[in-house]
Amino acid sequence: MRHWWVWVWLCLGATLFPPVHAAGPSTDKVLNPGAELWNEVRGRQAAPATTQVQGRDSQVLVNEWGEHFRDYRRQRFVRYSGYLLAGVVSLLLLYHLLHGGLEVTESGRKVLRFELTERIVHWLLAGVFLLLTVTGVVLAFGRFVVLPWSGPEVFAVIASASKEGHNLFGPLFIVALLWFFVLFVGRNLPRLVDIYWLIRAGGMLGGGHPAAGFFNGGEKIWFWILTIGGLAVSTSGVVLDFPALVEGRNPLVLALVVHGIAAVVLIAASFGHMYLGTLGVKGSLEGMKSGLVDEAWAHAHHVLWYEELNRKAQAESSAREQGQ
Amino acid sequence: MTVTEFVDGPLWYFALAVFFLGIAWRLVVILANGWRGDLSRPRRSGLTGSVRALFSRFAPAPGIGRRIGLHLTGGYLFHLGLFALLLFAAPHVAFYAERLSLPAWQPMPHWAFVLVSELAFIGLMLLWLNRVLNPVTRLISSTGDHLSSILTFLVMLSGCLALEQAHEPLRVLHFFLVEVLMIYFPFSSLMHAFTFVLSREALGYRYGRRGVPV
Repeated sequence: MRHWWVWVWLCLGATLFPPVHAAGPSTDKVLNPGAELWNEVRGRQAAPATTQVQGRDSQVLVNEWGEHFRDYRRQRFVRYSGYLLAGVVSLLLLYHLLHGGLEVTESGRKVLRFELTERIVHWLLAGVFLLLTVTGVVLAFGRFVVLPWSGPEVFAVIASASKEGHNLFGPLFIVALLWFFVLFVGRNLPRLVDIYWLIRAGGMLGGGHPAAGFFNGGEKIWFWILTIGGLAVSTSGVVLDFPALVEGRNPLVLALVVHGIAAVVLIAASFGHMYLGTLGVKGSLEGMKSGLVDEAWAHAHHVLWYEELNRKAQAESSAREQGQ
Repeated sequence: MTVTEFVDGPLWYFALAVFFLGIAWRLVVILANGWRGDLSRPRRSGLTGSVRALFSRFAPAPGIGRRIGLHLTGGYLFHLGLFALLLFAAPHVAFYAERLSLPAWQPMPHWAFVLVSELAFIGLMLLWLNRVLNPVTRLISSTGDHLSSILTFLVMLSGCLALEQAHEPLRVLHFFLVEVLMIYFPFSSLMHAFTFVLSREALGYRYGRRGVPV
């Protein structure tokens, strides 16, 4: 993955600045007729191919970018994204085996952390994300992972179903993501205390829990990865769903590259989120299921939010007393 | 007999029979229970009350609209979307004409099919999430209710996965799930598709006679 950014940049460049063919006649003295023919077919000659067919790219017989993309997808994207996903899972497994999950002795008193609508939207987004992940992974890796096991006939069925499912659930992801963003952005704006939390790695390396507000630094990073990555997969996904929105093939290639990279980053980061939400920090999942968390959990992991809750409760209590 | 032949043949006829006979049996049982007579002097017309209740219950009671907004939106998106898909999706219209000998009508265009599917899916997911995450609806939901939601979701999902109409196994899978749903339908809370009318009529009639605003 060392030079992935070069490739993305090349695609971007190709989109904004279409390839300029070499000016003037070639000074190359090798006169292989076959090579000349293929140079012309590939559009490497000074004069572009001519055709009576009107339309963008209609004079292109062989699209070189298509071959570059094919190489990129097979040689780099599939291999390195596979490494990334397997690496993240291995690291999480290793961490869990060595460190185990963070656990707090419960007090038995519960406080409300997430409202019903927030939980519904979270699980809606999570459900759609999982469906897109499964179908997307089949589309991206299936040819290399599923096909050798299933054979071409079964894989054709799986791939067709995945494509239709992926296209169908894509727009739902956009809706869920926007809704999620509106509900949670206010509590995910960066604060100074988050930097301190990040320096201390959230207490995962020892030394107790650093102070955090409603969301800690790690959760905020995940929120913004989800937002920016989600925006990237959504925009590129819309282009891929509706290719008529752009002109030519290169924007579609760029959309595929952006879509793939953003999706893999999102999936890798989601593994971390899923681990911390279940095994990594015990009690977190309950908060997203019932909306309630234990007071001791709130104090240990989000002490600034917990203190704020207490202040509000005290203020309400004194207001009631004054009213009486 | 291959799986495809079984699903397209005997299982289809069995599902069709269970579906229609089961629904008829359930409705007959409800109606056969009879109407316990109300001996009090009617204050208003029971008939007006029953008609009013049938339609007024499509909107939430005053004061709770905002509180159940998500539930309401999900409900309408899912039910209207599902009806539109059932009646106007091109493959369904072709199926009714071919297998049920109904006259073919104008199906909705492909873009509308996709849009309606999206709305129906988001509606169903919102409804089911509300069912499991809302402590009240979770308490009053039975295993059968969850099974109905999951089965409906699988039927819709398999239908959309088979959208390319290029692979027979996907069509057979969708058809098989539809048949399972049809067999399950009369014995489940999915019967509310028919019984909601009886329930509203009965309630509206009773309230109407007593002069309670419906």
